[in-house]
Amino acid sequence: MKENMNPDPGSNRGSAEASDTRFREVLRAARPSPSLPPRFQENVWRRIEDAEAPVKSGSWIDALIALVLRPRFAYATVATLMLAGVLLGTYQGAQNVKQTEQARYLAAVAPDSLR
Amino acid sequence: MNRSLVILLGVLALGAAIFAGSYFVSQRACAITRSADDLSWLRDEFHLNDAEMARVRLLHEGYMPQCAKMCALIAAKNAEVQAALGSGTNVTAEAQQKLTELGELRAQCQAQMLRHFIAVSQAMPPEAGRRYLAEMKKLTLGSHEEIEQSMSDHNGHEHGTN
Repeated sequence: MKENMNPDPGSNRGSAEASDTRFREVLRAARPSPSLPPRFQENVWRRIEDAEAPVKSGSWIDALIALVLRPRFAYATVATLMLAGVLLGTYQGAQNVKQTEQARYLAAVAPDSLR
Repeated sequence: MNRSLVILLGVLALGAAIFAGSYFVSQRACAITRSADDLSWLRDEFHLNDAEMARVRLLHEGYMPQCAKMCALIAAKNAEVQAALGSGTNVTAEAQQKLTELGELRAQCQAQMLRHFIAVSQAMPPEAGRRYLAEMKKLTLGSHEEIEQSMSDHNGHEHGTN
């Protein structure tokens, strides 16, 4: 109620700011900040740069795994392997069928005793 | 073991499993589609149409009883040869005679077989017929030539030169 009755609120704010500044100075004096280690700022920047840099692979195996496990590459590899397996299996299966059918025909028309 | 290496080996094993699975499934699928017909090889290998297959089938069915009869005669003669040879260590005159008769029967059977192959080849389109005849000669008579060739090559021994 007392503050509300003050005709000049500006002077009241000015004295509060001054008191605040003095309070900070007292507080700083009471708790002195430790001295920073040498090249502190430089080290901080270096750590920030390292954190922002892309992760480097440890070896060629890591690089290969990173490549292979990429979804697009993985799907393409699986599709290629399946296609290669199906084509080779079909070809080999057809050859086997051909040989079996040839052997059956030969067994029918030319008995073993004549060959 | 290094974690990266384990992952790499796992990826390789998975890839190999995918390839092998596709390969064996496809191979089995082909084997299932195999025909039960004795003449299916001729149709597939020489690309015969239905009319050509019908002619070949007729010849085949006509030849089969003759072939079976010859086979029975050869089997009987073979049994006679075995009986004549017995457990002795000498080739007797009787055994020699039976061997000659067996050889003659085989020659007759081979001649009959070759006549059948020629007839079948003539029932096919010319190019397919030539290829069929060459293939059948190689498959049926070629094995004798290979054996004789291997025997003549062995240790410089040559038949017919001494």
